[in-house]
Amino acid sequence: MSETTMPFPRRAGLLSAILRQPLAPWLYLAPALVALAVWIYGPLGYALWLSFHEWNMLPFAPIRSVGTLNYERLIDLPEMAQALRNTLWYLLGLLPLTVALPVAAAILTQDLAPRWRNLYRGLIFVPLIIAPVAAAAVWRWLLDPGFGLVNMAIQALGFYPVRFLQSPDLAIWTIVWITGWKLIGFSTLIVSASLANINPALIEAARLDGATEWQVTRRIRLPLLSPVIFLLVLLTILLGAQWSFTYIHVLTQGGPLGSSNNIYYLLWQFGFGSLAAGWASAAGILLFAGFGVVAAGLLWLMNRVTFHDN
Amino acid sequence: MTTKTATGRGWVPHAVMIPLAIVSIFPVWWMFVTSLRPENDIYSSLPWPGSPTLDNYTYAMDSIAVWPMLRNTAIYAVTSTLAQMLTAVLAAWAFVRWRFPLDKLLFALIALTWLVPFQVVMIPNYILVSRLGLVDNLLALLLPNMVSAFAILLLVQSMRSFPTEVIEAAEMDGAGHWRVLWRVVVPNLRAPLAALAILLFISTWNDYFWPLLLTRSENSTVIQIGIQMFLTEEGNQWGPLMAISSLACLPVLAIYIALQRQVIDSFVKAGMR
Amino acid sequence: MLDRRTLLVSALAATATFRPRSLLAQQQDALRFYNYNLASAGIGAEATRKMLDAFAGAHPQRAVEGVPVPVSELMGRIQADMVAGIGPDVAQLAFSGLAYARDYLGAVALEDAVPQEELDAHLSGMVANGVRLGQLDGKTYGLAYVFSTPVLFYNADLFRAAGLDPDAPPTNWEEVHAAAIAIHQATGKPGLLTGIFGNTAGDWLFQGVIRSAGGRVLSEDRSTLMFAEPEALEALTILRRLAQTGAYEAVFDFAAIEAMAAGNGGMYLQTSAVQNTLLRGAEGNWELRATTMPSFGDLPVRPTNSGSALVLMTRDPARQRAAWDLMRFLTSDWAYTVITSEIGYLPLRPNAIESEEFLAPWIRENPLILPNLAQLERLEPAMPHAGPNYSQIVQTMVNAAERAVFGPSDDIAPLMADAQRRAQALMPS
Repeated sequence: MSETTMPFPRRAGLLSAILRQPLAPWLYLAPALVALAVWIYGPLGYALWLSFHEWNMLPFAPIRSVGTLNYERLIDLPEMAQALRNTLWYLLGLLPLTVALPVAAAILTQDLAPRWRNLYRGLIFVPLIIAPVAAAAVWRWLLDPGFGLVNMAIQALGFYPVRFLQSPDLAIWTIVWITGWKLIGFSTLIVSASLANINPALIEAARLDGATEWQVTRRIRLPLLSPVIFLLVLLTILLGAQWSFTYIHVLTQGGPLGSSNNIYYLLWQFGFGSLAAGWASAAGILLFAGFGVVAAGLLWLMNRVTFHDN
Repeated sequence: MTTKTATGRGWVPHAVMIPLAIVSIFPVWWMFVTSLRPENDIYSSLPWPGSPTLDNYTYAMDSIAVWPMLRNTAIYAVTSTLAQMLTAVLAAWAFVRWRFPLDKLLFALIALTWLVPFQVVMIPNYILVSRLGLVDNLLALLLPNMVSAFAILLLVQSMRSFPTEVIEAAEMDGAGHWRVLWRVVVPNLRAPLAALAILLFISTWNDYFWPLLLTRSENSTVIQIGIQMFLTEEGNQWGPLMAISSLACLPVLAIYIALQRQVIDSFVKAGMR
Repeated sequence: MLDRRTLLVSALAATATFRPRSLLAQQQDALRFYNYNLASAGIGAEATRKMLDAFAGAHPQRAVEGVPVPVSELMGRIQADMVAGIGPDVAQLAFSGLAYARDYLGAVALEDAVPQEELDAHLSGMVANGVRLGQLDGKTYGLAYVFSTPVLFYNADLFRAAGLDPDAPPTNWEEVHAAAIAIHQATGKPGLLTGIFGNTAGDWLFQGVIRSAGGRVLSEDRSTLMFAEPEALEALTILRRLAQTGAYEAVFDFAAIEAMAAGNGGMYLQTSAVQNTLLRGAEGNWELRATTMPSFGDLPVRPTNSGSALVLMTRDPARQRAAWDLMRFLTSDWAYTVITSEIGYLPLRPNAIESEEFLAPWIRENPLILPNLAQLERLEPAMPHAGPNYSQIVQTMVNAAERAVFGPSDDIAPLMADAQRRAQALMPS
């Protein structure tokens, strides 16, 4: 095999690499890169510029350079501390639904007869299909304190109706539940996929050695699932706030008393929700940078602590 | 598999999964049931419609342009899914097949787009499609949604686990990289591609904020906006709201039920790790 | 990447010189009318379409495209479309956005676009208080369109259940307080709900409450916020005391409307625009009645308006002409007959109210509109906040007020003062 036809040439200096494979990968990448440059990074750069200005983008309006004023105003919001705290509650609340429960469900269904396994996994996947706006509407209907089915059941048991979306103590957990409800089945499938890739011989051998089911789970499955578990944790932390967004938007708009607000929705209210391009852009850049730092930290952690089977 | 050996906990999985399945399905069931109730029975707590009627559906269809909305949604979801798959296959192949300058940086830039909040790029993108004269055109929905970072990452992952020897052997036989991609790699990635297609389809079908910005008339918008039109400031019309929600979910649900086995299988085989 | 940058640069360069509309827009010659009633299915959209159809019949040469935009997206959408060169010719805007529309979106005063005699003739037929609401510094930037005032709706059945007389509804906050507690104790249901707070509420009703307590949210010259002054604190304290008894519940927006409609609320202070929804819920289930907004002791009630005005946005004289025809049509006697009887907003033309040809027969059958009409005489404009950050100012103010009424701390003065300081910093200097 000659140098030039090696499928995976090792990097040997930038120049020679360029000479060796001049064009093909760039052509393959071109559609994706052009689209991302036009529709994501271009606007992002524009937003970065806007975030240091006060301007409503209209041609006849004055453009005022305001330095970091937009950022200072956002950080100065008194609602910020509450929203950050709530963001943490959202993450903590979502983790059982997007990680713990799916791992349990995947392990529990793994050894079932295929018919049952597919039935259960098929059924719990259904919420993912439902349009978020529709899901929000149905849950509002079910949870209504006056006529919702859930509250009728609660009253039938002799309790007072629960104001799931109206009580400052409960609204956030209700939104967490609806967000998680949509994702349990999806996460379960992802865990199942990883579970199916574990070499069955490992498990057979352990069982022959007299290992209990719990030992098989604890000693073999969970360690081998650690990369996928970490991936789900990562996704929940990075995207949980975005997943909740539609439900907050449709159901509580962050209320009552800001109790269900998270960082993402707060910045939307003060930035995108109105029409000030400066606020909105600063809010967006803050979110992007903040979650970018978190992502980098988590990836670094992931490479250090997860367990690989190869 | 190992069903027979796992005797000790035969009932435990069912005890956990049956409630979980009910909780997953019930709200969807309730949506359909409510949509079939007559107006004076709308607050009923019977778990099935007492005297089912299609009144809510006819009312919803009379109030808004349901069929054009469904058609637009279908066109948007299908074309966007296909475009995202195509760009992802090509991009992933570039990363897997070659090492080239800046590859790691580009990969990171693509992955990072996942963290860009949609609301930041929304207004500039809207202005761009308007300037291109595409307002009130389905192309405007599609254009910013032709690349999915998630799809690229997933396919890079899948292609990397594809045995290198097979690719080398094919190239030794004189096949070019284009041919190898379409004749060797893609056919062997059916499961992850199918799983990916389903996810992309669901997410574009349910796309809400971008179409909301683009809506100029009922005939040129998507069904999610139709649902939103029944969530009014002056209180909801629950029957028609549930009817339009059901209509929005039915097509995807039907596809899912028809392909259920394959969907689940392809996810498992896709080996998303 | 490079491509995008050049594109941006050229886009910016293109916007640097003001061009009223792009080539593309000139070709489409239908008038663009941005309307939020069209954006939700139901009576509002149907009645609006009916009026637009009638306009098309009366003026075949003037094509109108009604663009549905949800009220929460309206200002951002107008702005984005104007940047793109396809902005509205006429927009239905909430009064709170009027100053912003003038100062930042280039809204056109009717005095500058329409022959004075035509304008005078049309405005003289409208309720003077209503017309005044659309005026800023003596010029008419908004033609008062759909309009409502705060009304205290109440459930006569719950009044009776609590031993109260539904024929003598509360007229001041003290009586509201007593009635709310009585209803709450007798039925376990919330005695009072309001639309003062909540995320879709804006600040129009809040302004009315503070004005009725003798305070102001904003100084007369619109330069100084005053919502932490003693009068405002007094009003908030009264609401807080009621909230602490459990009789005034922190249920807002849709949830409050639905609770009331389902018969689960004693009283509901809200815009008259929700009347039809409440009527639909009440029909056959409970008796809906309405009275005027309660007063603070002997102070005069100062109801503020909610609703919207038609704002002229186009700068092209020919289109202004067509837009004026549309605006006049939508505020004619006939249009108000549709608006009032089919949607439930207030009729702003005395002639439409009195004329047998228009609303008089309907009003006889629908006495619920009467408290609303009575308040029309005393209407105060809800003042639009100034500057590019007006919506953040409202948000800051109403968040703080909500916390003052329903939050954990009794010490509300520092809370409001802090919010006022922060909001004042957002005002243009």
